[in-house]
Amino acid sequence: MDPDGLDDVLDLSKDRSQNQGVYIYQPAKAGKASGERPSKRRKVSMNKDSIEKLDGPGFVPLLNGDESAECVQLRYDTYKQLWSEQEHKIQSILEDVDAGVLTDVLSFVRETSPQTSNGCIPTALVTVGSNVSSLSRLLSRLNDQLKSTNEGGVIVLESGDAPNLKTSLKNIIRAAVTNTEGNDGYQRFLTDRSGPRVLGYDLDLLHDYVQRRGTKKLVLALRDSEAFDPGLLTDLFHYSLLLGISTSVELFEGRLPRSCVSLLQGKHFEVQEAGNCVDRIYEALQTSSDGRIWVGRNITSTLFEKATDYFQTPEAFSRMVKYACMSHFFANPLAVLLGNPHKSILSQGQFCEAIRNLPSFRMFCEDLVETGSINEARSMIEDDEYLLRAASDHVDAGQQAMRHIFRAVLLIHTCLQHTHVTKKTTISDLSVRALSGELIDSPLVEDMLATVRTLDSEKLGEVLDTLPKTLSDDSALPGIQADLKALLEANPDSVPLRSEYNINSSVMKTTVVQQRVLLTKGTANLPEQDLQYTEIIDRLVGALHEYFIETLVRPQELFMNEAFVFDLRNPLKETFTPRPRFAIERALASPFDYLISTTAATAGARISAKQPAAAILYQLYLESGALVNVHDLWQAFYGVYESDQGKKVDDRVVMSLFYSALSDMKMFGMVKTSRKKTDHLAKSAWMGL
Amino acid sequence: MKRKLSDSGLENDQPTGSTPKRPRTTQVQANGALNDLAPNHSPPNGDATYEHPPGLSTPKKANGIAPTPLKESGLKTPTHKTKARNLFATPTKPKTPAAGTPARLKIADRSAKKKSARVLLERDEDAEWDGSEQLAEEILQDDEAEKATEPVTESIEEGDTEKPKGKDAKAPKRRAGRPKGAKNKRSPTPEGELPAHERYFFQNRAGTIKTSNTTLNKVPLLNHEEYFEKLGQSVDPCAEEKEYLLSLHHRSFPQWNFEFEEGFNICLFGYGSKRKLVQQFADWLYHHSASKNPPIVIVNGYTPGISIRSIFAMIASALLGDDLPSKLGAQPTEVLELVQSALKNRPDIEGPVTVLINSVDAPPLRRAANQALLARLAATPRIRLLFTADTPNFTAMWDISLRDQLNHVFHDGTTFTPFAVESDVVEEVNSLLGRKGQRAGGKDGVGFVLKSLPENARNLYRLLLTEVITLMDDGHQSDDEGGANGGDNTDDNGIEFRVLYQKATEEFIASSEMMFRTLLKEFHDHQMITSRMDPSGMEILGVPLSRDEMEGVLEDLVLG
Repeated sequence: MDPDGLDDVLDLSKDRSQNQGVYIYQPAKAGKASGERPSKRRKVSMNKDSIEKLDGPGFVPLLNGDESAECVQLRYDTYKQLWSEQEHKIQSILEDVDAGVLTDVLSFVRETSPQTSNGCIPTALVTVGSNVSSLSRLLSRLNDQLKSTNEGGVIVLESGDAPNLKTSLKNIIRAAVTNTEGNDGYQRFLTDRSGPRVLGYDLDLLHDYVQRRGTKKLVLALRDSEAFDPGLLTDLFHYSLLLGISTSVELFEGRLPRSCVSLLQGKHFEVQEAGNCVDRIYEALQTSSDGRIWVGRNITSTLFEKATDYFQTPEAFSRMVKYACMSHFFANPLAVLLGNPHKSILSQGQFCEAIRNLPSFRMFCEDLVETGSINEARSMIEDDEYLLRAASDHVDAGQQAMRHIFRAVLLIHTCLQHTHVTKKTTISDLSVRALSGELIDSPLVEDMLATVRTLDSEKLGEVLDTLPKTLSDDSALPGIQADLKALLEANPDSVPLRSEYNINSSVMKTTVVQQRVLLTKGTANLPEQDLQYTEIIDRLVGALHEYFIETLVRPQELFMNEAFVFDLRNPLKETFTPRPRFAIERALASPFDYLISTTAATAGARISAKQPAAAILYQLYLESGALVNVHDLWQAFYGVYESDQGKKVDDRVVMSLFYSALSDMKMFGMVKTSRKKTDHLAKSAWMGL
Repeated sequence: MKRKLSDSGLENDQPTGSTPKRPRTTQVQANGALNDLAPNHSPPNGDATYEHPPGLSTPKKANGIAPTPLKESGLKTPTHKTKARNLFATPTKPKTPAAGTPARLKIADRSAKKKSARVLLERDEDAEWDGSEQLAEEILQDDEAEKATEPVTESIEEGDTEKPKGKDAKAPKRRAGRPKGAKNKRSPTPEGELPAHERYFFQNRAGTIKTSNTTLNKVPLLNHEEYFEKLGQSVDPCAEEKEYLLSLHHRSFPQWNFEFEEGFNICLFGYGSKRKLVQQFADWLYHHSASKNPPIVIVNGYTPGISIRSIFAMIASALLGDDLPSKLGAQPTEVLELVQSALKNRPDIEGPVTVLINSVDAPPLRRAANQALLARLAATPRIRLLFTADTPNFTAMWDISLRDQLNHVFHDGTTFTPFAVESDVVEEVNSLLGRKGQRAGGKDGVGFVLKSLPENARNLYRLLLTEVITLMDDGHQSDDEGGANGGDNTDDNGIEFRVLYQKATEEFIASSEMMFRTLLKEFHDHQMITSRMDPSGMEILGVPLSRDEMEGVLEDLVLG
């Protein structure tokens, strides 16, 4: 037996780490490392030479490694700065969402005691629904509050902590003590006690601790109370309790024995659903007036698809946004423009080439040519200096445009809230449309404008009151508002005023002509002030329409939009919704998707001995029926090698490959032993299902 | 076997590539229908009643012909699966008919033909549905085809004209009056272009599933030793590509590091052992880390005895070094809390702890409780966790709250490296084939157990082995089959309990029956001996090892 060859084949390194369950990594000895070095060297030289120690940014120079260190640094810094702003916003929203429940729960904890509730245990039942993470947030903040006021603390118990009564009591006590005293404190607490030594799960310990600290409130929180063994819960209930429930209170109650329920006195708290949170976070990120970077349409729809189709916590949502942002700064050299770089640090040649390859650049230049400014287009293409200046100008302008878009989105949203009471349209829906440039033509806006026309003066006043904040720079609006005010003051009695578009102003005439009913619509005779009002409404709608047309541009058409809108669906989707089974099936069914051939001799989808053994076996397996005869499978497998290599193939070697491939299949759960026939396997996975 | 070889038979006439079977099939079928009338007639246009005119369909069928080794049936049935066929093409055989293994082929063909003839005689509905009939026909056809094409192989292009003649000469052999058109429309294997769910239902349809009755009895299986020896001799055809794939993954290291820094944990999935990749990532992290000696803990989740507590304890010792309390808690949660508080007290300058877990979905770690604990570890700030997962459905381990705590980003880490350490290949396959429980880990296992036993026990086992081997040598009947199938017949060879006891006392191995039985019990516990009653009521002791393995163990015992 040739140990070296075997090791190579089996990828056994000579250190015996593979058989150790867990060990601390030690860098390889110099002598051994030499074997591994070449590949690493190659990689390093491929990227850049100065990657030796990553003290600051973990970013890799882009543009084929030609990006200057300053740019890399700037990208990193800009990312850090931008994201910390965003993070801050998200946190404040989450806190805001929780605040209501927190104060409720806190006051509940403070006010109740067994005495106030007839000797029962005061219990707060918190339904969290899909918003799973909010409970832990809530609990930790509750704990902080209670600790800071020295009132007590929260003991969080998870179902995994409570396999039986003894362990759960022990865990409760330990958690209570370590919460304030720390781990060492707990050890000291155990050993320092006078009198007989008490076991870890003796409640006397806890009693002692409570006395010593003067704790008034000790809250025991069961995080995932559905997962607890109900019998155990019965034994546990002896304190002020806080239960997190994902389903419903009734279901939970049904699981508890009556004797236990009678011990509890519950109060029900509800945490806001995740979807709402997600919308708010998205709104905050996208529509803020000082935004510098936006999430594109594809990502938005992916994000919301995930948030609605799967249960997802707001944290997970914001993490996905973060990841998208990370990938933007990590992999997009243009992102450096967001950091307002000084011209000199942009490594010009490559960077300008990158800009010139943008689709938006092409579009921009074509527009320039069409509008006749050929010289400008020429200098965009030929003059690096000019291009850079134009690019950074356009980044600014584009950012401005994006801000306007979202301002318009907000405006539409508020208008919709005033008009469409029944059908709710979220900011995210509007944003998706706006980002794809379809909002302006969408029926939503048309409907909205139509409803605005029918508004009476009172409602219109409300709408107008909300508008100026977002529309201050639109010159037409203040005029309209002033006119409306004047009109209202002039006619104080006939409020509310109605426009001619209002349903009340049109009169339906019904005439019966020869036993047929004719409906005729006519405008009723309107009083003078209503006609004036109609005129104001028309002006307003016109102004709004103009404003929308002006602002709701397609973001994809903005020059340099690639720098400030990140919209690549793929790294995001793949990293958060992996398809491991698909990956394995693909690797086995068409291995050369992964193993990119250097020799090109392996083209074609045919099974051949050039493929890895497991792939061959898998493809044979795919062809077979639900029951597989192992012998025939082996023969077929052998046949593949035989036909490829002729007589010289050693069937025992092939057999060993067959073995390893078969064991892989078993490990993946694709085959299992069948009892129907001897030496048969049952297929248990179908590709693509 | 039959099928397989009949295929190779088919392939042998592939040299007539430009005039593939399509016209021939129709020919034959036409003849089958018409042979009462005019056996030697050239193909009339009348076959259009059954098929498309041959001329029209020839080019289309040509590429659809490529035979597949495991296809149940319907190799050349005029079905609509031309497209699918290309997907399942088999490697081409050597181009000339003689290049294969003619003798074997011929024998196999002959037996296949006999069987086919039988099938055609005893046709029934089930077989039709199953397609074995068509297969049978094709085997018979092949025979004809081969004879017909053999003279043509030199002049490929002329095949078109010549073949029909040869075929017609053979045609009378066929059974008369088959209602072909109707039957063939019901294709037995509409596979290939079926959507996945249809295929599932098709393959799981009610009724007997036809597979051949061959068993592995005649095929000697591998034991551990041979497996490793032979695997060592094999040459990996894709070594270069795998290396390149690995280097592609290397390029992601900075990205992964960035993700770590931003608080994400990483999960790698895909086919192949990712142990080496993880090791290299650890190297990379170590050399690129800002701090001097970054703590990196590597966990091999596939190790059988691994406990979650030991992982936490290792992390704690990596963190605390010499300050590690002498007594860690017995509960994993206690150790975890120690880790968490240690991290909290740790100054910010010191980097985070990186924990790399190989095969997190391996059976030892798979349990829900373990995953919940790992998730809590993952949620700890300044712990960076990298998982690798091997199975296709590992994501089912985590529910939404665990997923939330784990905070994973997933990357495809397909490496194609064999799972050498992760799984015990021979044992797995043996259990899959129902050959398990014969021995305690084969020769190595027995040797290992023996090493841990006292001198006395070793001597007794040596004695037992010597006796059994002597008996095997004496027993003539076992010699014939002994070589072919090691495991099964050793049961017949055994030494009587009394006799062994007698010999043991003679050699001063055991002084009393009590002691003797104690020693035997130890062997029993490790499944190193078998015991059964023979018809006369005597207890017979045997060894569940093959002859070779027994000799190997004996050799080790005597020499060691």
